[in-house]
Amino acid sequence: MEGKISFQSEVAPGHFLLSVDVAGEIDPPLPGQFAMLRPFPTLDPLLARPLSIYGYRRSEGAVRLEFLYRVVGKGTRLLSALIPGDKVGVMGPLGKGFRVPEKVERIVIIAGGMGVAPLTYLAEYCRTRDERIPLMVYLGARTSGLIVGEDRLRNLVGYCRIMTEDGSCGDGGLVTDGVKCDLSVIDGPDTYYFACGPAPMLKELSVLLGAVGSRCQVSLEERMACGVGACLGCAVLIRRYGKECYTSVCKEGPVFALREVVWEAK
Amino acid sequence: MGGEMRAPDLRVSVGSMRMKNPVMTASGTFGYGEEYAPYVDLNRLGAIVVKGLSWEPRLGNPPPRIIETPCGMLNAVGLQNVGVKVFVEEKLPRLRCFDVPVVANIYGETVEEYGRVGEALSSAGGVSALEINVSCPNVRKGGVVFGTDPDMAAEVTSTVVAGTDLPVIVKLTPNVTDIALIAQAVEAAGAHAVSLINTLLGMSIDVETRRPHLAHIMGGLSGPAIKPVALCMVRQVVKKVKIPVIGVGGIVKAADALEFLIAGASAVQIGTASFVNPRAAIDVIEGIEAYLVRHGEAKIKDIIGSLQE
Repeated sequence: MEGKISFQSEVAPGHFLLSVDVAGEIDPPLPGQFAMLRPFPTLDPLLARPLSIYGYRRSEGAVRLEFLYRVVGKGTRLLSALIPGDKVGVMGPLGKGFRVPEKVERIVIIAGGMGVAPLTYLAEYCRTRDERIPLMVYLGARTSGLIVGEDRLRNLVGYCRIMTEDGSCGDGGLVTDGVKCDLSVIDGPDTYYFACGPAPMLKELSVLLGAVGSRCQVSLEERMACGVGACLGCAVLIRRYGKECYTSVCKEGPVFALREVVWEAK
Repeated sequence: MGGEMRAPDLRVSVGSMRMKNPVMTASGTFGYGEEYAPYVDLNRLGAIVVKGLSWEPRLGNPPPRIIETPCGMLNAVGLQNVGVKVFVEEKLPRLRCFDVPVVANIYGETVEEYGRVGEALSSAGGVSALEINVSCPNVRKGGVVFGTDPDMAAEVTSTVVAGTDLPVIVKLTPNVTDIALIAQAVEAAGAHAVSLINTLLGMSIDVETRRPHLAHIMGGLSGPAIKPVALCMVRQVVKKVKIPVIGVGGIVKAADALEFLIAGASAVQIGTASFVNPRAAIDVIEGIEAYLVRHGEAKIKDIIGSLQE
């Protein structure tokens, strides 16, 4: 699909909010889904970049997809240089998103760094579905400069706890420390957890939330080439039905049950 | 001259496999076909080569498995596949719904395993040809890659050929001193065609962590960066064998494919390009057709090998 940049701005050093308009019909993305973006008609960088969907709006017959991302390399740097009117290749929405069960008493969102992007879209989805469900957010990063997207998220949830490793804003510590602190109070048979963030954070969560079983879903990320499950480049080790298999993050994920993810020694 | 020209005839054949056009999708880049079905009309392809199959399902390598490189990428997927049994029971029936020849890419850790896999796929029905991946280590010979030794490559070829009535294509590795020598050896052993090149051995390092980008350390390089190497090797092989040569390596647009055809390839495969543009294979087919019309050529066969040196 061809898309056109409608808006791009640097919301924090190195962090960008981007909106892309695509002509034609696409299904509303589910929270946790992503799109493959190709800003360049060149062959270098070769591959599209996968970005989680941050927002979805419809206006005047066009569909607008929003992305919140950080510049980490060649591809994202080029993407960040695009201005309204520039063309960009869009493939999506892709992947299996977060699944929010019918019977929910409380939703706990745990976001590390750029994990805030898909989880904000999830919060919006939950709010739209049911205004009354308690939504709690734990948002963490190394330092205050790396906390992004706080405003949009705060407007959607009832409780927001910020954690920074250096204590420069919010409480000092890892985002998982914040969760650990409140766990005995917030947990219950119908409390569901949704997490996205760096691998060390998710590993820590797998220990902390081991007892909640299938009530925690995580969104993973891995370098991608095809984005559709054909090349097996993005596969991670998943345990299902007693078997361990390398499973494509792009097609069978990016969302998995936390307890399915096998954390290998790296 | 004058009047309407009929649509050019793009048909080619490899052994008894007839293709409506010379454009195939390369093994390992198109899954088992269905992954790209939402984006591409599979019925328009010359052929689909499915992901390499071994006897038992294979787990594959730990991540990270891929890394982008200038105009290309390295992959160390590790030949992950569902195994012959699951392929025949689950994947092949779905592919039979399409009007496109299915080529089964196969490999083994021993000569005997290659033979077994080939036989199982031949009797399954719905497979139009076999493509033998010889870029794998021979575990009985200390891990020497089959395709680097003319005798081992020939032995694998003759074993597979003996166990099947299907056309047998041997996919050659470029990581050798003289690829034409290997091509000649497999031709003599009964191969109906050769496809080249498979990926080039390569590596990439993360300077911040001082670690290789790939968990497997080394991987296979593919994409536009390898096209000159692939094209050169195709020309070298075309001069030394009589069987059809299928060109693979860095083709992203019709002009790339035409370079290979003009150099003497009878068909081409599109691999990494599908990641860049899911419709790459279709665009190449349409571009070849437009080229033939523009040059007043009625048949693709008239330009194959038309390189003037």
